Parts: sequence; structure tokens; C-alpha cells
Amino acid sequence: MFSSIKTLFSYRELLLSLTKKELKVKYRGSALGFLWSLLNPILTMLVYSFVFSVVLRAGIQEFAIFLICVLLPFNFLSNSVNYGTGSIVGNSNLVNKIYFPREIIPLSVVLANLFNFLLELVALFIVLGIMGYKFYIYLYLLPIVIFIQFFLVAGMTLLVSALNVFFRDLQHLITIIMMVWFFGTPVIYPLSMVPEKYQFIIKINPMTIYTTYYRNIFYFVKYPEGAGFPSVAETLTALGITILIFFVGYFVFKRLEPRFAEEI
Amino acid sequence: MNSAVKKYKEERKESSKKDIAVDVKSVTKKYRIHHEKIPSLKQTILKFKRTAYEEFLALDDVSISVKHGETCGLIGPNGSGKSTLLKLMAKIIQPTSGKIAVNGSLSALLELGAGFHPDLTGRENIYINAAILGMKKRNIDSKLDNIIAFSELERFIDMPVKNYSSGMYMRLGFSVAINVNPDILLIDEVLAVGDQAFQAKCYKVIYDFMKSGKTIIIVSHDLETISDLCSKVVFLKDGKIIDMGKPLGIVSKYRSYIEELEKKRIIEQQRAERKKIFKTVIEGNRKIVDGEEISRMSNLSIGGETINRFGSGGAEIMTIDLFDKSGKAVDYCSFGDEVKLAYKVLFKENIEEPIFGIRITDYRGNIIYGTNSRLNKIRTGVFKKSDEATVAFSFKVTLIGGEYSVSPAVGYNDNKTYCDWINNMFSINVLHRNMAEGLADLNPDMSIEKK
Repeated sequence: MFSSIKTLFSYRELLLSLTKKELKVKYRGSALGFLWSLLNPILTMLVYSFVFSVVLRAGIQEFAIFLICVLLPFNFLSNSVNYGTGSIVGNSNLVNKIYFPREIIPLSVVLANLFNFLLELVALFIVLGIMGYKFYIYLYLLPIVIFIQFFLVAGMTLLVSALNVFFRDLQHLITIIMMVWFFGTPVIYPLSMVPEKYQFIIKINPMTIYTTYYRNIFYFVKYPEGAGFPSVAETLTALGITILIFFVGYFVFKRLEPRFAEEI
Repeated sequence: MNSAVKKYKEERKESSKKDIAVDVKSVTKKYRIHHEKIPSLKQTILKFKRTAYEEFLALDDVSISVKHGETCGLIGPNGSGKSTLLKLMAKIIQPTSGKIAVNGSLSALLELGAGFHPDLTGRENIYINAAILGMKKRNIDSKLDNIIAFSELERFIDMPVKNYSSGMYMRLGFSVAINVNPDILLIDEVLAVGDQAFQAKCYKVIYDFMKSGKTIIIVSHDLETISDLCSKVVFLKDGKIIDMGKPLGIVSKYRSYIEELEKKRIIEQQRAERKKIFKTVIEGNRKIVDGEEISRMSNLSIGGETINRFGSGGAEIMTIDLFDKSGKAVDYCSFGDEVKLAYKVLFKENIEEPIFGIRITDYRGNIIYGTNSRLNKIRTGVFKKSDEATVAFSFKVTLIGGEYSVSPAVGYNDNKTYCDWINNMFSINVLHRNMAEGLADLNPDMSIEKK
């Protein structure tokens, strides 16, 4: 495992190159290019704030901010997993013809989505600044949370991209799984709305803990009535599960990797 | 043993190990061929057991070692395991058993431009492709101009490659690959790139690469290239090494194998064709089956398709020859020569009273002469399976000079169906006398009386 991580490090330039390719291909041909990453969250916020403040009246102040500061990190997960699932199969021409550590393919998808996520955060900062959020108070926590979440995303993406080579149905199944995961994470509802007896279940999901961090960093600095960082025990549990998922994902990937070229 | 000697031996062993660039040790590769292409999750869950598959032995206990600086060619018919071997060396697939050791940096050219993205420009694709092939960024930067110049695509380099012709695409792919400059280069049938001038350039680069002491392992069906480039050739067949050694011997061995194969293929094809045509003659068009009808047709064609051989195959015409008076086989004759045209027939089934016939046509397909044993009122008797018969026609040449085709035939005694008919199987050359024109040389006594 560690030797393969070492090999991966020696291929870091290829990883960056493929990440750039992902991004270039994504924005190639669109007039606004990278600006879409800034525009997207702002437009999403406008839509949600209309639906949830005017139509549904959820009773949460500035619902758009409440939502978007958690929706962006969740999208980082779901986009990576959704695009990553078919990444090995979709790059059969590479897998069949050239040797390099295959994990570079799904990891480049994750990195491209991370870059996108960071761009979107810039847009979020601008909006928060305009609306008078003191988001800089806990900002030092942000890189740490993103760093930890990265391993969760990477582990999941590695796992599904490898499994999908052998079970192509996964490609269809994964959208459903991600939808369940979305509603099993306090993204469109606050954690406090979950009944006490179900809180335990929902807190096993590491994304619950991370979203709580994001929401505290961005949203609760202005509306502190629901504020509260996760406890140390909760954080460590989430961290442990994340590390477990990452290593399981990497391990499964490496075990299946030698058979990729034959199965595609 | 003296410790100095021991040390010396170890050093030698070590250095001989270093001499070897690629060492393939008794490698076996089995592929699983799934009957249904990909097992879905549903099948796996519902059936418990894996879907049915067959094992295909692509490589069977293959051992090759290629030294540094050697150019090794892999030849063999399709499906012999050449490409599998290259993929194993390139670590793209793993051997089922055995070991492969690679000494030095290795780059595999199994497909040119693998991983090119159609929406990205030539320049962008150079960076990605070179990185995939293992080049470092600053290396690519310094070689970029070289790569572009070599590909001769300066004008198109900032255009998306989806607008490239397939030739341009391959040229760019080759230019990138050749600039990676590894210690060991694996090439799979990718030298046929672009026009003649570009190909010459490619060969030159490969030669330079060889001269600089690099190792090349090349798979090609182009035997000229193989004998030209390689210092060692391996002949693979059905996943096994048939022979290896100096290119001349191995290539000629492979050539004779190919020729043998080709012969077999042609015979098979003819057999299949004859069966097929005979069937269409029987089923498709009753009228043509009529022996009298067919004997009146000068060029045999059914539905516009010219038939060269047809019949049930109950008897087969093996050889046909022309003999002179002394019994020597000849390929030409002159007016007035006594000659004998004879063909051999091998019976594949028991046939009573077969009819043996012959037809001679000129180059336009006009029937000059035709006859058979029935017309000659000859009783041929009964032939049993694997009997042989020689059918001979002795005659005096009365033809005008030129080339004539001979079509021998064996028919059933119903005078309607044939065992074997080979159209234009043999040709007779009659030397010119420059005395007449037309078809037959009547050789008249010519006289002129003046009154």
C-alpha cells in the first residue's frame, strides 16, 4: 500500500496534467468558461432562496446561505462519485494501452472537482462578505475540514470506479445511493430538526459531522441560535470512518487494478 | 572456494543480470472469455455463481530475455500472443504465472495518440500524452518544439485534434512517443504512419534510437521491417515460442509457414466455393443443371458470377498435363505435333459409368473443341472410392498459333450433374506459324492456276 502511494507520488505530474485536462474539457467551448463555477452557486442560491423563503417558508433565516454553505461541499462529494464511477471504464483506451497507476484516473476527477469546489467557495465568500457574515472568525478550520473531507471523497471515488469495472450496474445505482446519502445528511434541513433517537444514526455518517462544521464556520456566525461544533468524540468517529473508507477504497482499487485492462 | 573467485563470480552474475533489459520467465497468460460480456450486479446476486466462461491460453510458458541494445522482433500469425506479450512487458496486464523483470525505463507504443482528447488542441494533447507516457513537465517544455517540428503540424497545432485527419493524428502521436526517449521501447505495428516521406523519417528515428544503444521490442507483420531492424526474432504461434534466433532463418521459417497456411486456405476456400456453387446450381436454377445446357455455354457464369470450379466433389481432378510424343511434359507445342493431354482423377465416392470430358477454349472464351467419353461411346466402368483414373486425349495439333485454355470435367452418368469441373485449369501454347488466321489450322494445299 505504501509503496503504491510512493509510486503515485512519482506520477504527480501526470495526476496534475490529467486534472487540468478534466477542467479544460469541462469548460471547453463554453463562452464563460471558469466563470460558471462562480456563477453556478450564486444562481443556485437565488433559486433556493426563492423556493424556501417565499414558497415553502421553511422558517430558517436566510435559507439560501444556510443551504449553499453545505450544498457546495456535498456537491464536491456527489459530483466526484458520480463522474468518478465511470472514469476507469470511460478511459479504456488509456487503460488498455499505457501503463501508469490507474488510481490517477479517479483521483484526477476528485482533484478537478476539488478545484471547482474551491472556486465556488470564492463566490460564496463574496456573497457572505456582501451580506455581512463574519465568516473569517473560524476560517482557519476550513482547510482542515476540506482536507479531511478530501480523503472521504477520494476513498469513495476509488471504490466505486474500481467496482464499476466489474459491475456496470453500479453506474445507475450510484445516483440513487448518492440521493439517499444527500437526504441522510443535514443539507436542506438543520441537524436539530432530526428527532433525538435518530440522531445517533445520522451522526455515523461522516458527512453529517463535516456539514455541521461548514455550517458553523459560515452560517451560524450570523445566526448563532443553532450553533455548536461537533464534540471531539463525534469528530474523531467521523475521522476514523473517513480513514477507514479511504483505505478500504484504495485497497480494493489496488486489488482489482491488475484485472482492469482485461475486463474493460 | 576462494573468496576472491566467489566475489568475481557474483559480480559476473550481477553484471549479466544487468545486461538483460527485459527478462520474461516462463510466463503463462490465461484470459477468461465470458459468454455473456459483462456480468451485471443482478446476475451476480441472483445466480450466486459466476457466469459461465471459457479459459483461453494466450501465452503458454514463454521465456525470452532481451539484452540491452538488442532489437527483438516478435512475429507470428494473428492470435499468437505477440500483443499479449507486449502488454505484459508494459505492465498493462498481469501474467497468470511466471515473472517479468524490466531493467530500465520502458515506454510502450501500443497505440498512437492513446488518450488524445478530441476537444483539446494538438499542443494541449502533446502535454497530456507525453505525461501519460511518463515525461516530466520541464522535459516536455524543452522538447515541445522538437515534437511539433517532427509532426510537421505547425500550422494546426493550436487546433482541436477532432479536426485532424487520421494521418495527422497518428503523426502527432508518433512524434510525442518518439520524444519520450525511454531505455526500452515497445512497438506494436505502429510504424505505418503517414505518407512515404514521414515513414522514412520514422524509420530513421528508430535507427538512431537503435544506434544509441537502446532496446527495442517490436511486433510487426511487415517481415521486411523485421529482418531489417532486428538482431533477434521470436516466432510465436498459439502462445508458444516456435523458434527464435537470427532474423534471416526465423523469418524464412515463418514465411514458409505462412505460405503453407495460405495454400491450405485456398484449398479450403475452393472446396467451400465448389460446394456452394454446386448447391446454387442444383437449387437455384434447374435449367443450368441440365448437362446439355451447360455444355453449350462458353463462359460459365451464373447470375453474373463466373464459376471456376464446381461439382459435387464425388471425384476430384488432381492434375492435368500436356505430353509430347516421347512422353515428356511440355508447356508448348507446334502445328502438326502429336500430343497427349492427360488429367488424373481421384474418386471420393463410388461412381458407376462416370463421364470424362474436356473442353478447349480460346482467349475470348469461344469453344474450339469439346468432347467426352459418352460422345465417344466409351464405357468407363465402375469406380470405387479412392480409385484413381488417368484420362488421356491424344491428338494432332491443328490449332492456329496462340494460347488455349483447357477445362477438364468429370460428370455423373445422368449427363446432367458433375463431380468436378475446373474451368480453364490448364493452358496450351501453340507456336505461331504465321501462315493463317482464325481458329483451326486446316493446313490446306494451296494452289493457284492462272488461265
